[in-house]
Amino acid sequence: MNDEPHNLPLSSGTRPRLAAKARVQTDKISGKLALLYPEGVLLLNPTGAAIVELCDGQHTFQEMVTTLAARYKSSPNSLSSDVAEYLDRLRERGLLELISEEDSYW
Amino acid sequence: MKDTKDTGHAEVTSQQKPTSSPQSSVPRPFGLLAELTYRCPLPCPYCSNPTQYPPTGAELTTEEWKRTLSQAGDLGVLHVLLSGGEPLLRSDLAELVAAAREAGLYTNLITSALGLTRDRAERLKAAGLDSVQISFQADEASLADSIAGTPSHARKREAAKLVRDLNFPLTFNVVLHRKNLGRLEAIIALAEEVGAERLELANTQFYGWAFKNKEALLPTRVQLEEAERIAAAAKVRLSGKMDVLYILPDYYGDRPKPCMNGWGRRYLTVNPVGDVLPCPTASEIKWLHFDNIRQHSLAWIWAESVAFNRFRGTAWMPQPCRSCDQREIDFGGCRCQAALLTGDAGNTDPACSLSPYRDVLNRIVDGAQQLLEGETPSSHTTDLQYRINPSHSLT
Repeated sequence: MNDEPHNLPLSSGTRPRLAAKARVQTDKISGKLALLYPEGVLLLNPTGAAIVELCDGQHTFQEMVTTLAARYKSSPNSLSSDVAEYLDRLRERGLLELISEEDSYW
Repeated sequence: MKDTKDTGHAEVTSQQKPTSSPQSSVPRPFGLLAELTYRCPLPCPYCSNPTQYPPTGAELTTEEWKRTLSQAGDLGVLHVLLSGGEPLLRSDLAELVAAAREAGLYTNLITSALGLTRDRAERLKAAGLDSVQISFQADEASLADSIAGTPSHARKREAAKLVRDLNFPLTFNVVLHRKNLGRLEAIIALAEEVGAERLELANTQFYGWAFKNKEALLPTRVQLEEAERIAAAAKVRLSGKMDVLYILPDYYGDRPKPCMNGWGRRYLTVNPVGDVLPCPTASEIKWLHFDNIRQHSLAWIWAESVAFNRFRGTAWMPQPCRSCDQREIDFGGCRCQAALLTGDAGNTDPACSLSPYRDVLNRIVDGAQQLLEGETPSSHTTDLQYRINPSHSLT
């Protein structure tokens, strides 16, 4: 399978995955999910944590939105742009790889 | 090899802003700089290690470092920079990496890469090392080796390839100064060629050996303007491919850097003999006593020690900092720089144009503007004082 990260716009079939250099663990002090990477730390709020936990290269963007909508009793349509924006911020920091639909068939 | 003062440290971002008045409650630290040894195969003239090593004390043992790393994790630290000197000179490095991972720390190796054999790199990978930063001195061997004071450039290139082969994220770090700024374009090209994910273009910060060499290392304004243009263009061109970070030279700025993001606020340093410092260059403040991990817990030193509380928060500030609306943004700049340039660590950092001592810095900068007759900055290294290793009582 082609493991090259892509900088594609999100489409519903894209499967976001945390970059190899990033990893998550629970922060002992705050109890929050900490996203660790070479130059820093992001302490995630509960919504951010819920999004990041789904960035496993398995869930498509559409599936992420559906899952989150069910969890937060919200409509997928209203959540979609917020989730996309959050993912884009992670991608800008180089913390996210977007696996395109074609690659996922390899 | 290192210049980690404000370059290698972790940025911390959170949706909830950390409290900014530590007087009421002591903040938790996020990053630990572990200086495993002062020994180094390179005698770089800009090293931020102290020019006078601690007079007594042996390097911390493996068990002492493991205890320190564990205490750091309990205190809330999430990142450790394993640095030195050259951390690869510690034969227990992989064991310390494993201990740091055990303590919940993200582990970054800050190295010259000399001594990074495949066997060594594989053992570090197996121990859980997360990330590697290699320092380069220039884009090609003759200049790089003359700045590094020893043949090393070719070995660094090999090591960088090895690091990428083993899928470590690689940061390419280069300390910039009068001798290599003119090569910036080629340096960026080399970082691309070796496959770095991140490029730190770190203008020299003048502490330790760099302060001793400041006249020889300080760039001209013309050099810097050209470098800023090149770095900005590279940042745009390489967006999404390589993260380019350009660290400003604060002698040329109007406002000081928010050094360490505030004294005793985010970071701590443990030096090779176990002294715990709020900043890697804090030993420049000669009258300040630093407690030692052999006598006290890291938690006690962080929260209670005189050194960590001396410049914590804003109550210590003189004017103009005390009433400045930037005081919780730049924290009055750098205490060590104030000590070095004004003789008093409690003064406003002269890197601030509002500092009453700004003329001290201006005189140094003015003196750097002329190139000497025949000086081609990149070939003229005879005016450098190279770092010396500690005597063997420290090893």
